[in-house]
Amino acid sequence: MNTMAERLQTVEIAATDQPCEAPSALKEISLFLSDYASWLLGCGSTCIRLEHNVGRMARAWNCQAVMTILPRHIHMTVNSLDHSQSFTYITATGCNGISFDINSRLSSLSWEVADGRIDFNEARKRFSAITASKAENANTVLLLASLANASFCRLFGGDWPAMSVVFLATLCGMYVKQLMLRRRADLRVTFILCAFISAVLGAGAGLFGLGHTPEIAVATSVLYLVPGIPFLNSFSDMLAGHYICSFSRFIHAVILTCCLSAGLCAGLLTMNLGMF
Amino acid sequence: MLYEYLQDAFFAAIAAIGFASISNPPRRAYLYCALIAAIGHSSRFLMMNESVLGLHIVIATTLASLLIGVLAVLLSPLAKMPAETCLFPSLLPMIPGIYAYKTFGGLVMCMYHGSAGEFNHYFYLFASNGITCLFILLGMVTGATIPIFMLKKISFQATR
Repeated sequence: MNTMAERLQTVEIAATDQPCEAPSALKEISLFLSDYASWLLGCGSTCIRLEHNVGRMARAWNCQAVMTILPRHIHMTVNSLDHSQSFTYITATGCNGISFDINSRLSSLSWEVADGRIDFNEARKRFSAITASKAENANTVLLLASLANASFCRLFGGDWPAMSVVFLATLCGMYVKQLMLRRRADLRVTFILCAFISAVLGAGAGLFGLGHTPEIAVATSVLYLVPGIPFLNSFSDMLAGHYICSFSRFIHAVILTCCLSAGLCAGLLTMNLGMF
Repeated sequence: MLYEYLQDAFFAAIAAIGFASISNPPRRAYLYCALIAAIGHSSRFLMMNESVLGLHIVIATTLASLLIGVLAVLLSPLAKMPAETCLFPSLLPMIPGIYAYKTFGGLVMCMYHGSAGEFNHYFYLFASNGITCLFILLGMVTGATIPIFMLKKISFQATR
């Protein structure tokens, strides 16, 4: 199989005859790795995974990749092993929202490259196919997330009426969230509005005297909005020593939590409910 | 007791599946998320139960998160996906939502009540719930993330 590594080596050997070819091969690799890294970061990968995946592909293609991972950009330099050529690219993060499916498939792709099972062109084709893949059906997510939040209510000691109210509150809030994100609304405004809607509906259990745990219904009605994955990624990045990325992810999660709290507070004030 | 234990495991599994769906995992991940969350959450239930170990919620959550982390790392090569795919959704049912709600509630009520007695009461609620919430979160993330770094070889070769 004519892998990119072989191609690059061949080009380097023949560099005296055709001096332009080696840089162009390395340039293609650099562009590919930059795109790959920006997508992997955008779909919610931790920094350490990003470094491992990019590093193993670069080694397979006989080059080195060094990068600075910034919150919304990746600054990557790829150089040949003898440091005779290098390319630097800055790419904005790709992918809209967290997707563990894309994360898993991009990780598998890096191993296929590292193990020499696919060549550069095939890797590029597969990368395009992965990034073009569609997310889970929105209605399925809506239903599953609503069931999850209702179960969450149960785990906190909520009774069946409270669970039903939480299911309805999540269903409506999550639907609005999907609708707004599809129309590219601001994430912070979306969180405030969705938390408001869910809190107002969640307060229904107390308002109509449904069940014995109305306070648990209100408290859990907005928990589907908690940005758990950014919080966890932030901690993982901190342990790996990626403090800038860790801090930015943490701040992002804190801002979303503040928006969620503001929406909840506004909802409770509208319904004239105390918090205890 | 057995009924409560099974109920805890069942609802934790549903919660994990639902929260996993928000982060678009591969289809095969749902089963693993449900299994890991059910084992993790029900083990915390047992650890906190007075008749079993009677541990404090912070310690029980840390130990349960460690168990979830180890399970996610060990099962990830079988599922052919990064450990985080199963790990993060399985942890979410343990998020201290009620403590967070009460912390926020205490803070808001401090703002509304100016007299020293009432303010002190609500500030106490804010601080006590906030501290518990913070330590639960720290225990969760520490317990769950450590196995990924301790078992690096398995964690980063899972998708091979």
